[in-house]
Amino acid sequence: MSQTHRLLAIVAAVLGGAAFLSSFSRSADPSELASEIEAESDHMSALDLATRIMHEDKNLRIFDLRSQAEFEQFHIPTAQPMAIEAITKSVLPRDADIVLYSEGGTHAAQAWVLMRMRGYRRVFVLREGIYEWQSRVMEPRLAIDATAAEKAEFEKASELSRFFGGNPEMGVPRSQVPSGYWTTQQSETPQTHTAPFRRRGC
Amino acid sequence: MIAPFSETGGLGSTGLLLSAPLIGLAFGWFLERGGLGCAPKLAGQFFFSDLTVFKVFFTAILTAMLGAFWLDRFGLLDLSLVNLPETSVLPQAIGGALFGVGFLVAGLCPGTSCVAAASGRLDGLAVMGGMLAGIVVFNSAFDWIEPLYRGTPLGAIRFSDWMGISTGAGVALITAIALCGFALVGRFERSRVSS
Repeated sequence: MSQTHRLLAIVAAVLGGAAFLSSFSRSADPSELASEIEAESDHMSALDLATRIMHEDKNLRIFDLRSQAEFEQFHIPTAQPMAIEAITKSVLPRDADIVLYSEGGTHAAQAWVLMRMRGYRRVFVLREGIYEWQSRVMEPRLAIDATAAEKAEFEKASELSRFFGGNPEMGVPRSQVPSGYWTTQQSETPQTHTAPFRRRGC
Repeated sequence: MIAPFSETGGLGSTGLLLSAPLIGLAFGWFLERGGLGCAPKLAGQFFFSDLTVFKVFFTAILTAMLGAFWLDRFGLLDLSLVNLPETSVLPQAIGGALFGVGFLVAGLCPGTSCVAAASGRLDGLAVMGGMLAGIVVFNSAFDWIEPLYRGTPLGAIRFSDWMGISTGAGVALITAIALCGFALVGRFERSRVSS
C-alpha cells in the first residue's frame, strides 16, 4: 500500500468515525431552539403536508401523538401513531422530515422540543394539529365574499381536498369559514369554529 | 448555493443540460483511466485474478457517501432533495444476477461498454447493441413481467433505515466494510504475486 493510499484510508476512517459520532450530536442549544420557534421554522402547514403526501414524499415521517383510539378513528394518511413517551426512545432516520401532530398543538410542540433536544434537526409540527388538517384539507371553505387571494388559495386546497376524499365548500357565509394563523386574517388561534368542526367528526 | 442544483435551480435549465454531458464525459474518462474499458480486467473480478472493479467502485461509493453526508451536515447539500430509488428485493436480486451473468459473458457492463466502444473496440459496440436489445425486450414484455417487477417492495429505503441505525452509524459501518475490504484485497493480491 502506497503512502497516498494509506493517507486516503486514514481520511476515510476519520470521516466515517466522525459520521458515527455525529449520531450522538449534542442536544440542541436552547437559544437555537428559541430562534427557530421565533422564526416559526418549526411549523409545517396542513396544505404543505398534504402536497408532500400527495407526491409520495419518501423523506417524510408523520407521527400522530393522539390516543390509539383517536388514531384509529381518523388520522392523516401515512401517519403512524406514537405515544409521547416513545419520542424519547425511538430511532428515526436523522435526515427525514419528521412531522408531529396532536389534537391541538400542545402535545406536538412539546414533542418537538423533545425531538430537537435529542438532536433531530428536521422536526416540524402541524401547529393547530388535526384541526388544521380537517379544516384546511378535508373541509376547505370559501366565503361568499372571498377575496381573489382567498379564491386562489381555495383552488389549491380544493385540489388537495379532492385527492384526500375531502369536501370543499364554496359560497358559505364568512362567519362559517374557520380562521386560524393560516388565513389572511393572521389570527393567532382558531376562532370560535372549533366546536362545529369537531362535531363533524374531527 | 445549496445542492442538488437540479432541485434548487442553482444551475438553471441550460446549466443542467450542459452539466449532464460533462458529468458523463468525466465518468467515462475516469472509468477508462481506471482501466475499466478492458474486458479481461472486468472479467478478472469474477475469477479473483484482478480486483480493480471492486477497488474502483468501492472507492467511488465511499467518496460519494462521505462527501454527500458531510456536505449535508455542513448545509451545502440538502440530502432530502436527492432522489432515492426504490428497493424491490426479488426483482432486483434477479436483475442483479442477470446483470452479473451478462457482465461475466461480455466482460463489460453498460457504462464500460460505452467506454470500450468509444475506445474503438468492437466488443464494446456489440455489448451496447445487446443492451439496447435488452431494453426493447424488457419493455415489450413489461405487462407480463410487471407483477414480478413490482413485487417485494421496500420503498425508498436506505441501508441505515433497514438496519434500524442512524445515518451516521450506517456511514461509519459502510466505511469500515470498505476499508476492511481494501485491506483484504491488498493482502490477497500481494499473496498471489508472491506465490
